[in-house]
Amino acid sequence: MSMKLLIIEDEPALRESMQTYLEQQGFVCEAVSEFRAGLQKVRQYNYDCVIIDINLPYGSGLDIVKELKAIEAKAGIIITSARTSLEDKLAGLELGSDDYLTKPFHLSELSARIQAIIRRRNFSGSKAISFHEIRLEPDAQRVSVHNKGLDLTEKEYRLLEYFIANQRRVLTKAAIATHVWGDEYEQVSNYDFIYTHIKNLRKKLIDAGAADYIKTVHGVGYRFTDN
Amino acid sequence: MRLLTKTTLYFLLAMVPLLVAAGYLLFRLYSTQINEQADKELVYEEAQWLQYLETATADGTNFILRSPDLLIYPTQDPPTAYPELSNTSGTKARASVQIPYRQLAHVVNVNGITYQIVIRKSQEQKLALVTNITSILLLVFAGLFGATLLFNWVINKRIWRPFQASLQKVRHLELQKIEGIRFEETNIKEFNELNATLNTMVQKIQSDYLNMKEFTENIAHEMQTPLAVALSKLELLLQDRNLNDAQLGTIAQATEALSRLSKLNQSLLLLAKIENHQFEGTETISLAATTQKYLRLFDEMIKDKKLSVEMHVESDFTAMLHLFLADSLVSNLLGNAIKYNFNGGKINIRINNKEYCLSNTSNLLAIDAQDLFQRFHASQIGTDPSTGLGLAIAKRIADTSHLSISYQYDDGFHRFCIRHV
Repeated sequence: MSMKLLIIEDEPALRESMQTYLEQQGFVCEAVSEFRAGLQKVRQYNYDCVIIDINLPYGSGLDIVKELKAIEAKAGIIITSARTSLEDKLAGLELGSDDYLTKPFHLSELSARIQAIIRRRNFSGSKAISFHEIRLEPDAQRVSVHNKGLDLTEKEYRLLEYFIANQRRVLTKAAIATHVWGDEYEQVSNYDFIYTHIKNLRKKLIDAGAADYIKTVHGVGYRFTDN
Repeated sequence: MRLLTKTTLYFLLAMVPLLVAAGYLLFRLYSTQINEQADKELVYEEAQWLQYLETATADGTNFILRSPDLLIYPTQDPPTAYPELSNTSGTKARASVQIPYRQLAHVVNVNGITYQIVIRKSQEQKLALVTNITSILLLVFAGLFGATLLFNWVINKRIWRPFQASLQKVRHLELQKIEGIRFEETNIKEFNELNATLNTMVQKIQSDYLNMKEFTENIAHEMQTPLAVALSKLELLLQDRNLNDAQLGTIAQATEALSRLSKLNQSLLLLAKIENHQFEGTETISLAATTQKYLRLFDEMIKDKKLSVEMHVESDFTAMLHLFLADSLVSNLLGNAIKYNFNGGKINIRINNKEYCLSNTSNLLAIDAQDLFQRFHASQIGTDPSTGLGLAIAKRIADTSHLSISYQYDDGFHRFCIRHV
């Protein structure tokens, strides 16, 4: 069952990028460019997650968040904004949005966050993430390969989760570093430390009997793929 | 010089010619009165003498009388119709001081002989009159002077109160708190004009400030959006299976450059916001705790460079800071200490309630403290990706939060210290 997303973003080029990337990740995406269309969509249809830009033509994205809360929609909410002001972020989270992303953001980060939110809000079904023989249980942060438990460090777990969320995609070292270690790692002179962690993760997975899914993309980063 | 002192001075200066004129007029008035009195007496005295002369010379004898105040002698001059009254001066008997006299001169014909009659009266009181008037006027002037000083003092306290209040308000004006400022109406026209102007000015400043804030926010929006577009396109392009390693590498480099630009933009905005005092210190922040937090966050980089970190907290250093600024301050200093360190280097953090000092080893030599905190200084010395704004931001944060930041180089250690001002 594929997940349904709604993207409300007025910048057409960015909207297309998000839509293309998320569709490649297997989501079903709808996208609108302005406030009224966005409001209409969230009233008419059910989505698993809605990605809302704050500054929209004809209205504020925050009012769409309010509307979603008012109609008790099940959708997860991610607010995106070019504003870095703390007040905006707090206002968004207080209104009930699940997450906040400041532009520019990595598409891979957006994808990972959407999946995490959908998982968190999926109370009935299984929350486990699978990739062939690998199985992740996010609540317990447990990993198993061929149903046998695998002991990972916290960083290794986060790496693996991020890889599976963005499977088959090329991930830059900066994107990986900021996701796993935090925003402060967006600008560092060298990302050698990532290599160490990935080397360990790869070894643990292979030792547990998994295929070698982590591929190095020279000079760029990594790709987690089965082909 | 106070405005009131100045106006008083001019007022007193203007009083001087007025008082002199008043003195002159007074003297003239009294002098005329004195003369009239004297004239009456002189005319009466003359009439007495004429009567006496008439009887004394009825037998045809000549009569001559010469005394200091009275002269009667025969003359060849033709008789005058009326006695001639005039002011003259002379010396009194046995005295050398010149004193004013009132004098009557008349040529009359008595029993066929023409006589010259001159009678004069001392007007010594006129001298006293000048002295009296002068001293009275001096007294008036002194009184005026004293009274104005007293009034000044009272007026200064009372009437100028609204002015002082407005002045005080302007003096303590703060941009963030400008919204509620109103200059109240008083019962003095000039102050009302001033306050009305100040109100307009404050409103103008407030709207300009809001505009600038909005402009700052808009720049962020306008610049970050195209950057977000470009970065997302590059990320999509990275997914193209037909690209070779070299092409992928090129895209990665472009991505890195664009994210640096975005970071630079954010830092410049942060700097502008700090300078606009848009972050108000509302809570007491422990720099020791903030440092602990960032040591945990930067753990990976510290381990990667095999740095040894020594943190010695004697007592906590606290400051009234916006949480965001405290984070920014510590992360910039600690980030630099890591970034410019060499592998296996050291970071020492010493904290007590007076100062917060962070020192680190580095391949860099001593840096000129003068321009170290200038924007884009760092970009000239390092090869690392850096916005060159980190220290400028740290300095601005310190400046706007009643803190000082200093740099020192000694024995291979670059040391930055933060103190309360």
